[in-house]
Amino acid sequence: MKKVIIASLALASLSIVSCSDDDNIDSSVTAPQTYKFERNGSTSVSYSGQTTRIKMGEEFISALMDPTKTEAELDGMFAHVAGNNDFSDATLNSSDKSIRSKTAASRDYFSTNTAEATTLKAKFDTWIAAQVSEVFPNWNTLASEGVAGQIQEAGGGSTRYVSAKGLEYNQAINKGLIGALMVDQMLNNYLSTSVLDEVSNIADNNSDVLAVDKNYTTMEHKWDEAFGYLYGTDDAENPQYGADSFLSKYVARVENDADFAGISKEIYDAFKLGRAAIVAKNYDVRNEQADIIRNAVSKIIAIRVVYYLQQAKASLATDKAAAFHDLSEGFGFIQSLRFTRNTSTNTTHLPSAEIEGFLTTLMANNGFWDVTTNTLDDISTRIANVYGFTVAEAAN
Amino acid sequence: MIKRYIALLTVLIVAFSCSSSDNGPSGNTDNFDRSTLLANIADNMAKPVFADLKAKLEDLKAKFDSFNTTPNTLTFSEVKTSWYEAYKVWQYAAIFEIGKAEELQFVNHFNIYPVTVADVDNNIATGTYDLNSTNFHDAQGFPALDYLFFGVAATEADIVAKYTTDANAANYRKYVYDVIAKMTDIATQISDDWNGSYRNDFVSNSGNTATSALNKFVNDFIFNYEKRLRANKFGIPVGNFSTTPLPEKVEAFYAKQYSRDLALESLSAVNGVFSGRAYGGTTSGASFQTYLNSLDKFNLATSITNQFESARTQINSLSPNLYEQINTNNQQALMAYDELQKAVVLLKVDMLQAFNISVDFVDADGD
Repeated sequence: MKKVIIASLALASLSIVSCSDDDNIDSSVTAPQTYKFERNGSTSVSYSGQTTRIKMGEEFISALMDPTKTEAELDGMFAHVAGNNDFSDATLNSSDKSIRSKTAASRDYFSTNTAEATTLKAKFDTWIAAQVSEVFPNWNTLASEGVAGQIQEAGGGSTRYVSAKGLEYNQAINKGLIGALMVDQMLNNYLSTSVLDEVSNIADNNSDVLAVDKNYTTMEHKWDEAFGYLYGTDDAENPQYGADSFLSKYVARVENDADFAGISKEIYDAFKLGRAAIVAKNYDVRNEQADIIRNAVSKIIAIRVVYYLQQAKASLATDKAAAFHDLSEGFGFIQSLRFTRNTSTNTTHLPSAEIEGFLTTLMANNGFWDVTTNTLDDISTRIANVYGFTVAEAAN
Repeated sequence: MIKRYIALLTVLIVAFSCSSSDNGPSGNTDNFDRSTLLANIADNMAKPVFADLKAKLEDLKAKFDSFNTTPNTLTFSEVKTSWYEAYKVWQYAAIFEIGKAEELQFVNHFNIYPVTVADVDNNIATGTYDLNSTNFHDAQGFPALDYLFFGVAATEADIVAKYTTDANAANYRKYVYDVIAKMTDIATQISDDWNGSYRNDFVSNSGNTATSALNKFVNDFIFNYEKRLRANKFGIPVGNFSTTPLPEKVEAFYAKQYSRDLALESLSAVNGVFSGRAYGGTTSGASFQTYLNSLDKFNLATSITNQFESARTQINSLSPNLYEQINTNNQQALMAYDELQKAVVLLKVDMLQAFNISVDFVDADGD
């Protein structure tokens, strides 16, 4: 009798295993050599909207360093309206895209959380306003504790333009947008089943129903739009990274850290295989690739936070300007943590309040002028632990 | 004994292997009689709603008659009260954009806001206008009356004077009459149609194709929720579709104190239709809720009603004057929007999937 029961239990466990084991279907999808997909002899890949936003971002962050700009001009670049002459590039001016409308605007994180989304967008508005009202008028003032102005790095290095607390608002905006625009749209919008599978996308993709007047299915296009936020200014079939000042640049930086070498290929391969999986109508493989991208891109943001805080620690005593520059970049990347995605919980790795807490701590009292190395280590350690790497790995 | 163990273990095995069937058909076949649901909608909701809307508009005309006979602030306040009562009924009627209402594009004649004041002023000044013209959809209906009764002059006495001593008083009076008459005419035609042949057309069209009555109506229902309640009453004025909040785009902007309660009325209407409650009554019949329950989707039905309740609680925490609320504490108003938005996915994705009905409209928010 016992034998029968044991045999039955063995059978039962076998069938449990076979139920949950669908990993072997992965082999049915083969990724192409590069991110090149065609239908009827012409490309089915399109992400021009992402390229446009990245280009708008480039002009915008350059303008943030031009003290002749008015707040209205900068606001116009951030929240472009089609037809307004906000940019030097005419094609950007005629575009109906806007950076601000896609800032903290993903389906998964913000469609039912507009209260926080509005607060986050308003932060960028506030930083723009502060750059114009605090930093621009003091462009030629020497910055000191409590005084906004310029401060030069040691040894005749670069001049940085900082707030009274030592923060470069342009860096907060640039690095903050990597999370709020690129990472959020990629991980929490276009790679999400809530967007990929909405309305009739699955049925249409299954029967090769193309979007009106397009050479792609809507699902293919959504995936491409995620791809475009990293590769939008790069060569999609032979990416070089560092192609723009946003996510592309920092994937390159992390790739160049020997501790994380291979991470750019991991992301690229997942994009390729996921796109091939959509063509093969294999949505399990697609979703697995989405999670690979989410994990890697989230980690890149966290690695950059720790990197900058540790860099700043080294120069804090001897070279304030260099330290403030690193801290300002770190500050922006901390803001970007709000948009990373933990694939086990499908939310941020750290609660919003804790991320806000880091920013508040860094800006407390006189901000970077009196931040301590202990504070920088505490934040670094916490983030490294949560995102699964060591401070030492990220620091160099 | 052994056999019983084996039987038990076999059940376990089956139970385990079944856990992977979530993606497949649920096994609950759809035996729900859609025509009973359609009949409940037609007989206990649409018919009485449009009858009431017509009656309220007739009352509004009567009150405006009285005011013109005896113009004073007392008779004028009765006009305004009557307007508000009719406006509340509209919140319910707006869900039924089907049949004659769809054909006549009734929303365009009842509730396009914000009103374009320049058009209203100009129409009154010239005395020549065609309320059927698309130019004037935003110069009629409840929003035009909101302006004419509450915002056309600074004080109540000055507003009353527009209809009495103003050089153009006759034109002011005529415009109000024309706007009321347009709405009354449309409400009457819709009501007559429901009481005529349309009722049976609606109820007997119980199949599941894109043009079947339930497919169209449930889409209308969700569109009303997503666009008229969520977006128009909250999303647009709180700034979710713009760079900055646009508080002047609240409903009933000139009357000021009704914008929140009109939204609550709209939410009650949505909840009433969802749960099959007879209009103005307490009895309930076949509904989206009972349909979901028949498909064993009890949890979804409960989630939806709970979410409506959360939205109600959040909206109730706002100032009655949403314009003021947005200007003083927009975060609170954004939270109301968020609670409303949470039900959109439940209705538009989960409920429609359960009914095996496709969405016939899409948000245009892509790249």
